[in-house]
Amino acid sequence: MSALTNRLMLAAALALAAIYLFPLYWMYVTSLKTQSSIFAVPPEFLPGTPQWQNYVTIWELANIPRFMGNSLFIAVGVTAITGLFGAGCAYVLARYRNVWIDAALFTILMLQVLPPSLMVTPIFVGFSWAGLLEYPRIAAILAISAKTMPFFVILCRAAFMTVPRELEEAALVDGNSRAGAFFMIVLPLARNGILISALLVFMQGFGEYVYSASIIADNRLQPASIGMTNYLQPNQVNWNAIMAFAATYVTPILAAFVLLQRQIVNGLTAGALK
Amino acid sequence: MTPQIELVDVQKHYGSFHALKDINLTVPKGQFVALVGPSGCGKSTLLRSIAGLERISGGTLRIEAQVVNDLPPRKRDLAMVFQSYALYPHMSVRDNLTYALRLNGVSKAERAKAAEEVAGVIGLEDLLDRKPRELSGGQRQRVAMGRAIIREPKAFLFDEPLSNLDAALRVRMRKEVRALHDRIGATSVYVTHDQIEAMTMADHVVVLRAGVIEQQGAPMELYDRPANRFVAGFIGSPAMNFVPGALTGAGTVRLELPGSPEIGVEMGGEAGRAVTVGLRPEHLIVGREEGAKIPVTIGAVEQTGSSCYLFTEGDPEVLVTTEGTSAIRAGDAVSLHVAPGHVHLFDPKTGLTLRG
Ligand SMILES: Nc1ncnc2c1ncn2[C@@H]1O[C@H](COP(=O)(O)OP(=O)(O)OP(=O)(O)O)[C@@H](O)[C@H]1O
Ligand SMILES: [Mg+2]
Repeated sequence: MSALTNRLMLAAALALAAIYLFPLYWMYVTSLKTQSSIFAVPPEFLPGTPQWQNYVTIWELANIPRFMGNSLFIAVGVTAITGLFGAGCAYVLARYRNVWIDAALFTILMLQVLPPSLMVTPIFVGFSWAGLLEYPRIAAILAISAKTMPFFVILCRAAFMTVPRELEEAALVDGNSRAGAFFMIVLPLARNGILISALLVFMQGFGEYVYSASIIADNRLQPASIGMTNYLQPNQVNWNAIMAFAATYVTPILAAFVLLQRQIVNGLTAGALK
Repeated sequence: MTPQIELVDVQKHYGSFHALKDINLTVPKGQFVALVGPSGCGKSTLLRSIAGLERISGGTLRIEAQVVNDLPPRKRDLAMVFQSYALYPHMSVRDNLTYALRLNGVSKAERAKAAEEVAGVIGLEDLLDRKPRELSGGQRQRVAMGRAIIREPKAFLFDEPLSNLDAALRVRMRKEVRALHDRIGATSVYVTHDQIEAMTMADHVVVLRAGVIEQQGAPMELYDRPANRFVAGFIGSPAMNFVPGALTGAGTVRLELPGSPEIGVEMGGEAGRAVTVGLRPEHLIVGREEGAKIPVTIGAVEQTGSSCYLFTEGDPEVLVTTEGTSAIRAGDAVSLHVAPGHVHLFDPKTGLTLRG
């Protein structure tokens, strides 16, 4: 490729990134503005004096610790369940090859296609029947895990497939049991891919909205994704409060992404090369 | 003395595919056995069955007289060297070497001592703290060997351990592996598709084809008295020439070559019976003088310096090797003697060796 096309591609990529990232920027900027400057015409792209107290106010007013705590609880629960069951499932799918495995893989891929808004009604009815709605956060964790599971299994399977079978066999001959070989050889070698997949699942759990909104009715148990929408009232919207809330909510996720972006990309493309 | 490894009528099926058929093999303690055969003949399958990585579908497999058909690999106490070496990439050379000891609960101090000792044997003292990816192919191969010899298993299993090395290193390692075997008094089963490796290293060679043992025996026995045409063609390098012919009934066989030459065989048989005549290239002697038996024209000459390959014109092409260099050029007409007692006869249909 010539240097010119290279540069054009780069420019296009930057333009797309700018379009994509502008809302994020706008969120941070708005969260620091005064109520009046939010609607200033022409719009102010830089806040005059940053209104840091927006954050302090919202922190106490909006019960942010409680909402974030609930989000964290759900995310951890989802990651634990998905990781525990998904890893074993992915390993089996990576190691055996036959018609049934192919059928299972196809089914898993199909499950990925079903949107939560479609699934939520049957899940709600089922959970209600089973009495699970008594424990709304647990119920939400189960529902979200069902959504993240296929995604995790597919990624994790790719990670396990990068571990050559002969290594496991060498461990068996060296004196390992099947389980021993899995924990001492396969798991450490697939670790990066698994951790990254788990991190992505965690983020999905942390930001999930549809299932939580339908299943968790009690305001005290709701995650931040729902807590935020409490500030969207029909008549008046407290924009800088919402934006400060949103910024508090997504900054940890963004930080994790930025810190781990190299590992994430490596983890996702593991096995694609070589 | 009970054999170290014994296979009786062992079968292996993959679904409807019969990968190993009626395998009978006895490996006495201390013996070096080579399994050879073309690609896909079931060598690895047989070795993996012994190791317990494949479950046999029928027959009996004994190790030190104990039936191990249903034992998992870790209970069989064998060591295996894989073609890919299968070194654990996340462990140092030291940890790779001592992994089996660690699993057996050997103390850390003893493990360290054993690692030093084995590193001395395989010549890798300075590399103990490296990761496998920081080693050359030859060094990795040595680590794989070291990992096998660090404990005293009931037998060593090798699956083409030298096939990833360059030719010179392979020749050297061939000797080293055999020397190691002798020094530690091991019992070894060695898989290779290279018949030279099998011939030079092993006490006992097993030739496999399509899951069937075609013949087994001492290397020279296979070379001198192949049981059939397949073994005759597989053992020996360059490969044996096969020429159609017919018995004359008077202790000779007439070859279907220009001039219908006759050569002596130690076999009567009915006159006119069609046979396949096997002639090893090294048993054909070039002579220009009168009285030579097979008149041929040389079609091509290849010189390697130490030996010379002469290909005759016509069909079937016959290859003759001579020592050293040769003055013969393509187009020369020469006569070939057959070294007495070195004519092999095979049934053209069954491929079995005919003996008088
Ligand atoms: N898991 C399996 N399922 C089905 N068939 C198999 C399986 N493993 C091996 N085979 C078949 O069994 C036959 C023997 O395979 P094996 O690996 O033992 O060959 P090999 O003699 O070691 O060949 P090579 O020299 O190429 O390594 C082959 O035809 C192969 O296709
Ligand atoms: Mg093989």
